[in-house]
Amino acid sequence: MTEMEENLQSPVKDSDMTLEQPLLLIGNPNNRRTLGLQEARQRIGLQPALVLPYDRLLKTWRRGGTMADAVQQCLEGRGTTHVKGEPWISSPASILYANHDLVHGVNSVPLIRLDAPGEEWEVERELLFLGAVNDVSPLIDGLSAGMIPAEQTLTLEQEWGRIYAPNQWFRGWKACLERIRHEALEYWPNARFMNDPHDIAIMFDKRKCQQHLSAHSVHVPPTLQSSEPIRNYADLRTAMKTAGMNRVFVKLACGSGASGVVAYQINPRTGAEIAITTVGMERVQGKVIFYNEGRLRKYTHTSEISALMDWLCAEGAQIERWMAKASLGSSVFDIRQLVAGGQAGHAIVRLSQTPITNLHLRNERLLPAEAGLDEQQMDRVQTTAKAAMAAFPNSWSAGIDVMLSGGTEPRAYILDVNPFGDLLYRVQHNGLGTYEWQMELLRKEPYNHD
Amino acid sequence: MQEVKLTVSYDDYENGIRMETLIRELAAKPEAGSLESLIIGDWGQAYENSPDEFMGTLIELAPSFPSLKKLFIGDMGFEECEVSWIIQTDLTPLLAAFPELKSFSVKGSSGLSLEPIEHAKLEELIIICGGLPKSVLASIARAKLPELRKLELYLGVDDYGFDGSLQDVLPLLEQGLFPKLVYLGLKDSEIQDEIAKAAAEAPILDQLEILDLSEGTLSDEGAEALLASDKIKKLKHLNLSYHYMTDDMLIRWKRSGIPVDVSEQQQSDEDDWRYPSLTE
Repeated sequence: MTEMEENLQSPVKDSDMTLEQPLLLIGNPNNRRTLGLQEARQRIGLQPALVLPYDRLLKTWRRGGTMADAVQQCLEGRGTTHVKGEPWISSPASILYANHDLVHGVNSVPLIRLDAPGEEWEVERELLFLGAVNDVSPLIDGLSAGMIPAEQTLTLEQEWGRIYAPNQWFRGWKACLERIRHEALEYWPNARFMNDPHDIAIMFDKRKCQQHLSAHSVHVPPTLQSSEPIRNYADLRTAMKTAGMNRVFVKLACGSGASGVVAYQINPRTGAEIAITTVGMERVQGKVIFYNEGRLRKYTHTSEISALMDWLCAEGAQIERWMAKASLGSSVFDIRQLVAGGQAGHAIVRLSQTPITNLHLRNERLLPAEAGLDEQQMDRVQTTAKAAMAAFPNSWSAGIDVMLSGGTEPRAYILDVNPFGDLLYRVQHNGLGTYEWQMELLRKEPYNHD
Repeated sequence: MQEVKLTVSYDDYENGIRMETLIRELAAKPEAGSLESLIIGDWGQAYENSPDEFMGTLIELAPSFPSLKKLFIGDMGFEECEVSWIIQTDLTPLLAAFPELKSFSVKGSSGLSLEPIEHAKLEELIIICGGLPKSVLASIARAKLPELRKLELYLGVDDYGFDGSLQDVLPLLEQGLFPKLVYLGLKDSEIQDEIAKAAAEAPILDQLEILDLSEGTLSDEGAEALLASDKIKKLKHLNLSYHYMTDDMLIRWKRSGIPVDVSEQQQSDEDDWRYPSLTE
């Protein structure tokens, strides 16, 4: 047993407790994110976070319990987490979370970090369930056509890549965020969130997020304006024509990464249209199902494009001008800029030979220096990314996607604010990985929104 | 070499900036006199507007660019305009306006014409497009370019303007058309196999150093013909990058000792369709 492990497993002294704010991590245990964060905390000598798995939380709720019950279960189960295969008993630290007396101590207020719920099928099903039971949308306009009834959600078998009822999922996710916030503040009135669940809900909704940023004078690509709601392909064509906007991005409002993103353009002269996307379509028993493909599809037939757009518009889509990104050689690029605690940290340049830069497959990723971006360009990126983060004063960290425009005077525009955008590989800032850097910042400047 | 690229971005165009103005501004600068390479990028919504907007100005101001050796009309990326949507025009007058030109490049073929192609000093002609009309191929086959050393043509696909067939390409494989030609690129074609088979034993290979059949739908069929040819073995370089050849064929190329680029192997899609590079 190393000295560090010994220290971690020995009872934590009161004086230590006052020095370090305990962290409650709501996430999926043992995934790259959770392990990355725990490893980072271990490396810089912080107590491990207590991990509350989404799966446990959502199941506890479904069975009539509360977040407090789920946390209690974690504590009783001794909340062991594994770091590099070694069981790492987090109980000494986790006493803090359960001890109600400690909520009065200024420094023992738990800090709560929400991480991504994705890539865990059990969790996806629970969120779809939550989305079904929280459905308040009227059964008109075919809006609920893609709905999965609550009783079916929990037995749903995963088909790889398939995009299941995204709007329903998002409703479930928003309900989850809201309930976490509500119950956490009930349980620990002074609890603080690294990223406020209200903000996470806004960041996740590309429509709301772009409006929010725009209202805070942060540059975003202009949204396609329309006096009527855009409910389908026909509405989209009309709105594009009226606005004179021939090239747009249609993005699934709650999609993450490249999921549900379409670069769409109409040739005003010939009427030809092209939609480039990772969304695949398949007709199964008379119904079109949609899935994420690992490669780009190019649709040029109106029948296909209309099916795609009808679906995206019904599920909720952000539609904005497709702005030409700055290029490096034959590739265009944008930048994922991590901002935490008001500081710009890690940055990754994402190059692509296609309009879609955040596709993980094949696209090249470079450090800004490797890509040859100069100080002025990076300064522009970082200033804009920090401004976007500042539009969320109750949130501390996000991975912000920024594009630079081409032309005589390049400007920076925010494409996306990812509340869980800190999973970045092979990049360091001040010699630290993304999680270490953030934990270091937290240690130096204990989190305080006020 | 001193090079300038002029671009009118979407925002610039919306704000009333025009390529014509940028050309005038450039011509008025002292460095115009020594400018060797001028790249005309996006002239603003090039899917609606043709170079006619600025060509007259460029021709009028040609004397302000006495050192110009390279001219590129339409260097823009997919973020600015789909290559098959770029509207070109009759660019022939530019050749006459710049008699000292050595290199002329064009991107986009919609509305493009070059007739007649005559230039005493041009060494390099490059046309990048999604589909080259047979009328332009015919103009090139009739061209008078005694100094031409490099000819690089993207032939493309039917959907994007390639309305010809192998018959329209064959004249370019005849010897003596361009006596100084050492680089021939007949690329990005949906009939790349047919072209490869025709090129494999073409007399023109005797004068070439580089044959470029890249970016197209080349498969083992065309590759067999190339491998079987003694003329191909004498090339300094054979560019077959972006292709649909099998792994076995790649091994055979490796063993052949021929200086060949076989990078960017593609897989045909589920319907067994093969696409050239610039149409994907």
